Amino acid sequence: MRCCRPYYLVFALVNLLYVPIVSAQTSMRVNEEFNNTTFPDFVLKIERNTNYYFYYKIAELDTFKITVKAENMLLHDLIGKVFANTAFHFAIDRNNNVFINSRNVIQTTLPDQFFSGGQAESDSFEFNTAIPPEPFQNSARTGSRDNKLNEIGFKPSAIKKDRANIAGYVRDSKTGESFTGAMVYTDTPFVTAITNQFGYYSISLPTGRHVLQISSAGMKAASRQIMLYSDGTLNIELQDSIPSLKNLIVISEKKSNIRGMQMGEERLSIKTIKRVPVVFGEADILKVLLTLPGVTSVGEASNGFNVRGGSTDQNLILFTDATIYNPSHLFGFFSAFNPDVVKGFDLYKSAIPEKYGGRLSSVLDVSMRDGNSKKISGTGGIGLLTSKLTIEGPLKKDKTSFIIGGRSTYSNWLLKQIPRSDFSKSKAGFSDFNLRISHTINEKNSLYLTGYVSNDNFKLNTDTLYEYGNRNLNIKWKHIFNNKLYGIAVAGWDNYQYSISSKENPVNAFRLQSAISQGSLRTDFNFSPDNKHSFSFGLNSIYYKIDPGSFVPSGKQSLVNPDKLQPEQALETAIYVGDQYTINSRFSINAGLRYSMYNYLGPRDIHAYAKGVPRDEISLTGTKSFRPGKMIKTYQGTEYRFVARMLLSNETSLKFSFNSLWQYIHMLSNTVAMAPSDIWKLSDPYIRPQKGNQLSLGFYKNFKSNTIETSVEIYFKHLKNYLDFKSGAVLLMNHYIETDIINTRGKAYGIELALKKKTGKMSGWLSYAYSRSLLRQDDPLAGQSINEGRYYPANFDKPHSINWVNNYQISHRFTTSLTMVYSTGRPITLPIAIFYLGGSQRIYYSGRNQYRIPDYFRADFSINIDGNHRSKKLTHNSWSIGVYNLLARQNPYSVYFIQEAGIIKGYQLSVFGTAIPFISYNFRF
Amino acid sequence: MDKKLHITILLSLAIIVFNRCKKPYEPPIIKTETHFLVVDGMISCGNNAVTKIVLSRSTRLGDSIQFAPELNAFVSIEEEQGSHYNLTEQGNGIYLSQQLSLDPDKKFRLIIKTTNNKNYISAFTEGKTSPPIDSLTWKQKEDVIISVNTHDPSNNARYYRWDYIETWNYRSIYSTDYGVNNGLIYVKDFLTQTDSCWRTSNSTNIILSSSVNLSEDVISDFPVAIVPQHTEKISLGYSILVRQYALPEKAFQYLRIIQKNTQQLGSLFDGQPSQLKGNILCVENPGEPVMGYISASTVTEKRMFIRNSQVANWHFAPSVEFCGVILTIPQNSTSYLIFDYPDTSFGPYYFVTGGLVITKKACLECTEQGGANLKPNFW
Repeated sequence: MRCCRPYYLVFALVNLLYVPIVSAQTSMRVNEEFNNTTFPDFVLKIERNTNYYFYYKIAELDTFKITVKAENMLLHDLIGKVFANTAFHFAIDRNNNVFINSRNVIQTTLPDQFFSGGQAESDSFEFNTAIPPEPFQNSARTGSRDNKLNEIGFKPSAIKKDRANIAGYVRDSKTGESFTGAMVYTDTPFVTAITNQFGYYSISLPTGRHVLQISSAGMKAASRQIMLYSDGTLNIELQDSIPSLKNLIVISEKKSNIRGMQMGEERLSIKTIKRVPVVFGEADILKVLLTLPGVTSVGEASNGFNVRGGSTDQNLILFTDATIYNPSHLFGFFSAFNPDVVKGFDLYKSAIPEKYGGRLSSVLDVSMRDGNSKKISGTGGIGLLTSKLTIEGPLKKDKTSFIIGGRSTYSNWLLKQIPRSDFSKSKAGFSDFNLRISHTINEKNSLYLTGYVSNDNFKLNTDTLYEYGNRNLNIKWKHIFNNKLYGIAVAGWDNYQYSISSKENPVNAFRLQSAISQGSLRTDFNFSPDNKHSFSFGLNSIYYKIDPGSFVPSGKQSLVNPDKLQPEQALETAIYVGDQYTINSRFSINAGLRYSMYNYLGPRDIHAYAKGVPRDEISLTGTKSFRPGKMIKTYQGTEYRFVARMLLSNETSLKFSFNSLWQYIHMLSNTVAMAPSDIWKLSDPYIRPQKGNQLSLGFYKNFKSNTIETSVEIYFKHLKNYLDFKSGAVLLMNHYIETDIINTRGKAYGIELALKKKTGKMSGWLSYAYSRSLLRQDDPLAGQSINEGRYYPANFDKPHSINWVNNYQISHRFTTSLTMVYSTGRPITLPIAIFYLGGSQRIYYSGRNQYRIPDYFRADFSINIDGNHRSKKLTHNSWSIGVYNLLARQNPYSVYFIQEAGIIKGYQLSVFGTAIPFISYNFRF
Repeated sequence: MDKKLHITILLSLAIIVFNRCKKPYEPPIIKTETHFLVVDGMISCGNNAVTKIVLSRSTRLGDSIQFAPELNAFVSIEEEQGSHYNLTEQGNGIYLSQQLSLDPDKKFRLIIKTTNNKNYISAFTEGKTSPPIDSLTWKQKEDVIISVNTHDPSNNARYYRWDYIETWNYRSIYSTDYGVNNGLIYVKDFLTQTDSCWRTSNSTNIILSSSVNLSEDVISDFPVAIVPQHTEKISLGYSILVRQYALPEKAFQYLRIIQKNTQQLGSLFDGQPSQLKGNILCVENPGEPVMGYISASTVTEKRMFIRNSQVANWHFAPSVEFCGVILTIPQNSTSYLIFDYPDTSFGPYYFVTGGLVITKKACLECTEQGGANLKPNFW
């Protein structure tokens, strides 16, 4: 250690960026031809064939091209030739270290008086490293400089040809927030690792010197020079890509679509989400989601979304491990996710990882931020309808951090101010609250506590009040066994309930309630023995309890007869194992198996029906009672997940995936009423689990050095036991719901084209999707066939959709954003005629879903104005001004028919029937 | 100043958001032909049975005309490999057969030819035999519920449909001995009395049940009719005639959909829209929707009486709001029997010295409420 001090001084003179490493002292000659080679490649080649090591500033030399022919040339002469007539200076020291600089003439020797104890031993690593060696294995270090050499692991006495593993976190340098889905990769060898939900990565490389490239959306791409000796830890902090004065190209996830194993996956960070204009200026995850290819919704301002022709209940919506049953606020005007606490989301459309299950169409994994671990800070926003405030910071610096966020509306007050009687009865509002505490116990163990509460209530021109809310709480423990193995255990409780109440007529005043709760326990493990394999395995278990409905009188005068449906409960357990296997640099596969078992549990009375005839209350033969905890019915099955990726070139890849999934929980949605009266139903002896298979094929090509991404994905899905309803079925408060449900077969297919430009002054994406979703009723016991047994479009079948999101950065402070959305109108069943039969008036309907409501088209525009970029300001402000539905088109949200004085009239309801200007103010401190 | 401006923006916005959002929607289909043929009724088998078929046209959604009878059609029952039996038009879309004795073991179909030269035929349907109604029972739990009991030892019927005709006796609010004929007051006798009337009404819903859930073909205490408490129906005496039909399974399922199809639209508890596919085909245009399902069955029936004295706590109180009385002094003193009160909705109540007390006919004559003043045969 005694020699280190003088070396520090040396490099203080030269430039701290130069970090030398020593090799045995030999003089070597070079035999090589370079033709338009970039300097880094030149260096790699030389370093590989000689004992020389180079020190230079990448920023200065990465575009420097070399064309030279070296025949038995001394390196000194070769470099002299390369840098002749340039501004660069170079020097080579005794230990064959080559220093290149544009400013200084480099001295590689020191004045003698620097050394009191004589010459450093040239064959010793210890005394010749510039950075004092640290016990890296025991305390994680943070590599923060692109050009600094990070030594990983214990130095052996001599470098052996071996492999070693590096693992660590990728975090934000300013807030300490970790990045999910950041890519950590090297080009030679071709190895890619993606950070997990904690921002943790693990990568295995041959020992020796490498350049780790790190990229994450919205962050400055970084690279780390590493010298890998043995297994070790390297935490990486990324810097925010604040637009620099030279309009720096922000490289975000460049290449990841080509190199990643993900297929049919959409990952967006909150930065991207915040750029898309939405009504009322509130960044909205669901609205952005709906602009992605293959994602549609039944209508504007409707709950949930449809992915690739799947129904809304076929999406698993996770908010940091909590299952969200209703992701919308205010009929879907807002999403349930407060943008200030959200880190980003992942949407899996086709290659659904084996650790997820229980839904057929997609998994939307929304992640919450851990909170700033370095200092207390906050964000807030004041909009026309909502205000929000988020505070985050460390409870104990770098150990415990928290984030608390809340949103609320003041629209009730607003509606009361309107001097029109129509609105005096109206009421609409929501609030939500997020909390997350992250605690690092030690290097190996971390705990996370997450809570979410939301409440909604609205009443539009009627006396019927709708209320609903999500409640979620979970605790997560993460344990790192070693660099190659880590595990997560999560225990959580999720609840969703809604109620509809009316007090218009005191005699008929009622309250209708329904609720779903689930308790879950999951463990996930990840084992990456080397870069070839990455195994994941775990166990998930969910206990469901559903109260399908209770209908009770409201108020003393009410004469409504109380009615309650039997609660139902079930246990769903799944084990899974998967392996991501990199066969070679061009070809890799990911294969997984998931075995799930479902037990429908008592107490419950199960109706029995006569065999061989349609199930009907009339064919009821009896009822069988089951005791609490008794298994009434068990379903089990194996699900398969498979993805293969073939890299055709550096900028082109081909991916294939096959998925099979089972779903045991179903949503019964009343499409007739214009109310969110959705009921969740568990599979039971009559309602079989839904099964889905999806086959998809994708082709990805990037242009202009990966700044433009294009993709084509085609898919075919087959569904079994999808639920639809008999004609005349009543879904609410139905004690014999199994008599009104039919099992259908479904197929969905489509093609999705996407063009994305994520960087530059102009960024955004354009996508087109053709997707069909068709059902066919083939249950022989239905008693009736829908549309004579032919395929008919599902409620959410919208063949064509085009989305265009375009952001243009005028200056550092002004960004404009234009969004256009088009889609085919959704199918409806129309009442066609009235007739008399059996003594009463009857309605004749068209075939199911044989007509469509008018097409949907909307354009939005917004301007974001950032306050000045002085970084020392107390608060950072930004304004968002824009117009939603710029063309004031009256897009029908729903079409419904009511009887008015004996005459049936049709109405179309447009939620936003005109252009809506909005303004919102956001601040950060 | 700043704050005020802010609020103004908020208000104008909210109005825009919640305003102008609802506008009439006319589905494209409604512009096309929606006057489909509706065939209501079934073929009656058995001894001396009369088949009644009602033909009408469906109407457009926005139409105020609710019932459009199909007139001047040719309607005939065809026995498979057998005779044709023509129905005769009775007006208002009603077509009746002669008294026929169709064999329920044969197959039948209905043939219709409309005035626009379109031919409609139903599928051949096997005749079904309705077993006798074992009994009708009633019980009172505030309302009176009337139930049917039947059984088929051959286990062939299984699917049943009922309809009923209710007849009840009621009285006028005021009792009078006088009537008016050609402007002259006369004293009524039992043929012209208007104090006591009998009203008849048909069931207006589809009543279905089945014994498929039972090992034997038994229908036990299946409720067919409800008489709401305190109504006029059992204010004096009430009679119900329940008619029973046996149905093929397909016809049963068809009617079951119609039964579940609620007439209300836009409410929370609405049923899912239903599409109907009957067994009647338009020969010229097989794709044309035709409403109705033709089946054939024998009819069995049973009658039951309920007297007011049999029910508990039944207080029928007719509205007397408009039943004020007026004393009139005859202008023509030559005869007190000349009734010339200008408002013809009034009639003579009773005579007082020097004048006549009159009141609304609706309060004097039970026939004004639509009943008949002659006691029915079965009463």
